[in-house]
Amino acid sequence: MKKIEAIIKPFKLDDVKEALNEIGIQGMTITEVKGYGRQKGHKEIYRGAEYVVDFIPKIKIELVVADDMVEKVSITIEEAANTGKLGDGKIFIFPVEDAVRVRTGERGIDAI
Amino acid sequence: MIEKLSLILQKNREQLTSDFIAGNVPDFIEKHTRIFDEYFCGSFEKSPIGQEMNISKNPYAIVALGGYGRAEQSLFSDIDILLLFNKKIPAEAEKLIREIFYPLWDIGLDVAHATMTVSESVKLATTDFETMISMLDSRFVCGKSDVYSELRERLRGKTNSFQKGKLISRLINTSKERHLRFGDSSHLLEPNLKDGQGGLRDYHAILWVARIKSDLVSPRELEYNGYFSPHEFEGLTSALKYLWEIRFRLHYMAKRKCDQLYFEYQIQMAKNLSADNGDGKKPVEVFLGDLHGRMEFIKQLHLMVMAEIGYTRKSNLKGMFKGNSGGKKGLILLRDMLFFSSSEAIVQDPFLLVEIFKKSSEFKVPISAEARRIIKDFSYLIDDDFRFNPKVINAFEHVLTAPESEINGLDDMLNSGFLGSFIPEFKNIINRIQYDQYHIYPVARHSLHTVLAIKKFENRDASRYASLYHTIYRELSEKRILLWAALLHDIGKGDHGKGHSVRGAAIADKILSRMGFDTEIIDLITFLVKEHLFLIKVATRRDIDDEETSILCARKIKDIDLLKMLYLLTVADSKSTGPNAWNDWTEVLLQDLFLKVLNQLERRALTDSKRIQDLESKKKEVFSLTREKYPSWASEKDFELMSPRYLLHTSSEDIVAHMGLFAQLGKDELVMDVAKEGGADIRTVTLCARDKPGLFSKISGVFALNGLDIFDARIYTWKNKIVLDIFRVTPPKDRIFEDRKWARVKENLKSAIMGKIDLDAALKEKTSFHKGKKLPGADSSERVVVDNSSSSFFTIIEIFANNFTGLLFKITNLLYKNNLDVKVAKISTKVDQAVDVFYVRDLDGQKIDDKKRVQSLTRDIRSVIS
Repeated sequence: MKKIEAIIKPFKLDDVKEALNEIGIQGMTITEVKGYGRQKGHKEIYRGAEYVVDFIPKIKIELVVADDMVEKVSITIEEAANTGKLGDGKIFIFPVEDAVRVRTGERGIDAI
Repeated sequence: MIEKLSLILQKNREQLTSDFIAGNVPDFIEKHTRIFDEYFCGSFEKSPIGQEMNISKNPYAIVALGGYGRAEQSLFSDIDILLLFNKKIPAEAEKLIREIFYPLWDIGLDVAHATMTVSESVKLATTDFETMISMLDSRFVCGKSDVYSELRERLRGKTNSFQKGKLISRLINTSKERHLRFGDSSHLLEPNLKDGQGGLRDYHAILWVARIKSDLVSPRELEYNGYFSPHEFEGLTSALKYLWEIRFRLHYMAKRKCDQLYFEYQIQMAKNLSADNGDGKKPVEVFLGDLHGRMEFIKQLHLMVMAEIGYTRKSNLKGMFKGNSGGKKGLILLRDMLFFSSSEAIVQDPFLLVEIFKKSSEFKVPISAEARRIIKDFSYLIDDDFRFNPKVINAFEHVLTAPESEINGLDDMLNSGFLGSFIPEFKNIINRIQYDQYHIYPVARHSLHTVLAIKKFENRDASRYASLYHTIYRELSEKRILLWAALLHDIGKGDHGKGHSVRGAAIADKILSRMGFDTEIIDLITFLVKEHLFLIKVATRRDIDDEETSILCARKIKDIDLLKMLYLLTVADSKSTGPNAWNDWTEVLLQDLFLKVLNQLERRALTDSKRIQDLESKKKEVFSLTREKYPSWASEKDFELMSPRYLLHTSSEDIVAHMGLFAQLGKDELVMDVAKEGGADIRTVTLCARDKPGLFSKISGVFALNGLDIFDARIYTWKNKIVLDIFRVTPPKDRIFEDRKWARVKENLKSAIMGKIDLDAALKEKTSFHKGKKLPGADSSERVVVDNSSSSFFTIIEIFANNFTGLLFKITNLLYKNNLDVKVAKISTKVDQAVDVFYVRDLDGQKIDDKKRVQSLTRDIRSVIS
């Protein structure tokens, strides 16, 4: 099992969600996050006052999938979230030791 | 013996509960109380200890306190008992307690008891507020009734009017604290049935006040003593009965004492109550609407009673009726509250019905409970004559636009039913609940919250975003437009189904036309109603870092003032919806979009309405010119390749020529066209190539290498990364073999693009590459301006310099080496003065707004131009 964590542009959420549904991914966790990488914040000036966006709003998607799905899922996210511009985001993949479904106590791959 | 009684008690409770759940017991709460009474009476009669103790020597009474005292025992509420002895507490009392209460504890009931003599009780009650309040609800259950009577008598003797006043002001304070802590249940989505505003405690507080002031015994006397009208008392009775039922059911579902109606119970509750009025609303929405309506009713009664005894702050009213000889006819000021002088006055002049709200918000004086009652009773006077009366509409608008204060005139209008009568369309959204994670208030309440949130922008607030709201709000030319829009923005939610914004705009149009507003004003308000979700949708669903997005918004909104209003409406609307609809994350996105759109509108460059028209006709013209020649440009949609900036600044003929070049380009590196029409001393060179970093600098380098001076240049990029550059240059010196010369230029360009020529080195070798002679004092005209404020998407570099061959190459080469991408350039030369403007971004597509980078860039440019 692997955990896939993707940071994407907010307006790409629906596209990514749909694309993942199409390849049979049923669940995910999303969070509204803020941060910056190579796409730095920027500022706008209005009536002499500076309005700085130092941390840019992004969406974080997290999901855990079986090993054989990792490549497919990450490619799907990559394609759906791509605009070709800076700030399209990143995908991280981590190993997952175990999983438990709270209701039934099922473990491992059965729990996801 | 008594154990057996407790088993009977338990059995009876179970029976009552199952009958209640089946819906067979309308007076369950009294019945439940009686079951406990029976237990205590039985235990008193059959008590072995009581007999031992000799009751005539040690007379005692079992007294119910709190909710049990009021005979409102809910399923799992605490049972408060006072074991009251006459003179002294005998040694056997301990045993008696064990005998009476242990069996109850054994079956899991929460019973709290106190054992005191009459004197002790009186002493404690006069020193302890809580005890006094619980004594107010005391009820004799069984035992010696004269013991209890003595307690009542002595308590009454102890409270003189001064102490009554103190008690009442304590009561008012605890009510206020309670409301702060538990919130206003009349519109929270998880209301607290007991302690929230509008909950049972509000009713208890009324009861206590009446008991203190008027020695009231039975709640029925609230009506006889003139606290409530028969109609109000009836409403109260029915609201209480409803709340008691919900609470009883809630205890049953939660299997414990629980007074907060959590989400998890609501759907089941609605189902159990068969809350369904068959008009397509979800049962749970109907149920919550019903519940809120009733809690609102209790809240109003509570506020009314509390207002009369001083819940609201006193205000200074000097000059309220100034210049109006002792008071406006029909309204009077008494005890710092507004009253109608008489009911007849209203019948004669119904305008008073709105005037009272106007005066109230203007002078920040509360409207008396009596006057509120009268407004309700006379609502039949609000007919079409009244609604169409400009004087009335004016007064209403006055209340709508009054600055935020403790007196919320609109709230008063909603609560008294005035708003629903004056704007009948509003009735459909009163108590209209939306059962989802976002909305925590019913629609009408939410609308008033939105109005209030906007008014609050008036107040200076140092926090990061609020200062922007404050600034913009103060700049609005007509705040009333925004406030009307806020009031009506969700008016379309009365009907079901999607598209409430569009429906709402139509309803708002009807309301405002009826009121006789000017068409321009109506158009603005209905636009705001219709588009109140537009900005939030764009901010979350479109790429706001793409300039096209902000241009699109600017074109739709068109007007700066309107944009500002739409922005403030969006913020206020989201804030008033609930914590899930509004957070820092959304706030940043929305602010970013707003400032970008504002920038577009303030620059006017690409968005004003004439330009939009120009743009459209330009597209049509080009389309018709090229339809036959280039059938691959099949529809107008294909023209979206061309940015608005390009379409606006390029003549139709040039665009057609560009399309021709593009068609020729194929897989080639470059297509070049040289036109001689400009006159003997000017050649127009049009180039079409694939965009690559540094392309512009290579082209200008090749021109310099071939001794061609550039008069002006325009650089455009299509969205498919095709570059179209138009240069006007001096002709080659060798006019005879000009065409051959141009062929060489073209070859040079191709090599340069492919990186086969080191232009820098080649130009250094070329002897003719030299600085032009400086004119005396020419230095002063050299200037470099890096502008980051004019465009949200580009850094604009303006360069004023003395022209010399190769100047443009030097500048553009420098930009290239600094990793800057030139998207648009305007180059012009007058005599020896060059004025060059570049729209640049770095290779990541970001502006260059880092101070250090701007400084070093300016320094570098200065060094190449002088």
